[in-house]
Amino acid sequence: MSDNTNKAFDQAAAFQKLWMDSMTGMAGVWSQYSPASPAPEETRKMRGGMLKVLTETWDQFMRTPQFMEMMKSSLNGALDLRRFARDGMNRVHEQFETPNKTDIDGILLAIRHVERRILDRLEGFEDRVADVKDRIEALEETLQGQTRPSKQPQRKPAKATKQSSNK
Amino acid sequence: MNTTTLPHMDGKTGFTADWDAWQTSFINEAFNNLRRLTSIPFLPEKIERIRKGVTPREIVYEEDRLKVYRYIGNGPVKYKTPMCFVFALVNRPYILDLKEGRSVISHFVNAGFDCYLIDWGTPTRAERFLTTDDYVNGYMRNVIDYLRERTGAKKVNLLGYCMGGTLSTIFTALHQEMVGSLMLLATGIDFATREGLINLWTDPRYFDVDKFVDTMGNIPAEFLQSAFLMLKPVANLIEKPINLMENIHRDDFLEDYLYMETWLNDNIPVPGEVYREFAKYLFQQNLLTKNRLPIGKHIVDLRKITCPLLNLMARNDDLVPCAQTEPLNDLVSSKDKEKIIWPAGHIGLAVSGRAQKELWPRAVEWLAKRSQ
Repeated sequence: MSDNTNKAFDQAAAFQKLWMDSMTGMAGVWSQYSPASPAPEETRKMRGGMLKVLTETWDQFMRTPQFMEMMKSSLNGALDLRRFARDGMNRVHEQFETPNKTDIDGILLAIRHVERRILDRLEGFEDRVADVKDRIEALEETLQGQTRPSKQPQRKPAKATKQSSNK
Repeated sequence: MNTTTLPHMDGKTGFTADWDAWQTSFINEAFNNLRRLTSIPFLPEKIERIRKGVTPREIVYEEDRLKVYRYIGNGPVKYKTPMCFVFALVNRPYILDLKEGRSVISHFVNAGFDCYLIDWGTPTRAERFLTTDDYVNGYMRNVIDYLRERTGAKKVNLLGYCMGGTLSTIFTALHQEMVGSLMLLATGIDFATREGLINLWTDPRYFDVDKFVDTMGNIPAEFLQSAFLMLKPVANLIEKPINLMENIHRDDFLEDYLYMETWLNDNIPVPGEVYREFAKYLFQQNLLTKNRLPIGKHIVDLRKITCPLLNLMARNDDLVPCAQTEPLNDLVSSKDKEKIIWPAGHIGLAVSGRAQKELWPRAVEWLAKRSQ
């Protein structure tokens, strides 16, 4: 048997097990029914028990590889259908020379690309400005800390900073 | 359930007592059904009255579709460091300010914090190529810069909920110098756990995220909503409607129910690229805990987080299990860190009566101790 057929059998078996477990569990809940208690209260209790069983069995089922295979194939099927429909629409748009979704996405991507480049450049400038600002602040602190030395040594570090920041 | 004990039941035993109890119960149930039926025509009017957010607020910042709200309290602002609430990109953020007595934000506003909330807005097709980098280093950074400039504070306190918590954690790791304290609610950090169904369903063997995003563009709100419903199909699709029908005549129940359902069904699409990055880098490769998550040109290193951290998680969370949140405290470098595991679900952590009475006053106190 092919792999796909095996998978289909496994999935059917898992689905069958889910309902078997659910039904058995729910029937088990009814065994606790007490006719002495008023019917509405007792029915509520039974209902609570049945829903608890259903919750547990479904949670177990949704964790099985078979469920996830089913989910995968149904999602892929839906996506393929959507792609197929879109390709058809694109051809229609092409014939009428009107923009289709792919064209719009292309423009959006181009804008994003340019935006990213500008932002990267700006970020680079921002880093450099911050670096220069830090150096100026450090220099100012050094100058303030000095006890009025001659003007010549004060200018030297300023020149050095400018040169290094240009590099 | 209103159960009346009829006077003629006194002293009766055996079959007669059982029969009387049955009769009483049926009569009560019949009256309750009548009450339920008569309350149905008033349902649309009650739905009309639902408000989205309760604390007075004003818009202070706007950028593209993003809005920042400032909450206006009755008293003066006691703390200089502003508080910024960051919510997920999946739902609307008013769950944090749901209704009177169910508002997380009002706790902080009433304690004298200057509170702000980021509303990301609804992305359109034009936003499908926005990445996590755009949200964290673009929008979020601009908002935090604005708040620092507006208030004169050097740092901002962050409170992130769910996916907003993950965004806040990433932001703090990249810009620690801007964040005073970090509070997280039900935040996914370590995605290696297979406890939650979402983690299982996004397994690369069963979910081709590239094919999905390339075909869909933005991820539709309906898809996300149905995935959340399927986490607990019996509770959401069977128990919930039954509960509504049983309690529709109770005003307190109905009001809470309508507020919650309005919010739960108010989903918004997620930008495709953000979804791709979250699914691939976090759910499938778990890069955040490995300190290898790429955000634009940067790599997120959780060890760079040094600020005080309060990590709140819900014990019965089916969306973000505790195992997904708890490891954060061991991954950051903060010395002042605390975690609280609260007996509630993902939403109950914010809005349940017990959380409102006990958890949130405690969280406010935690932040007050660490704020100027």
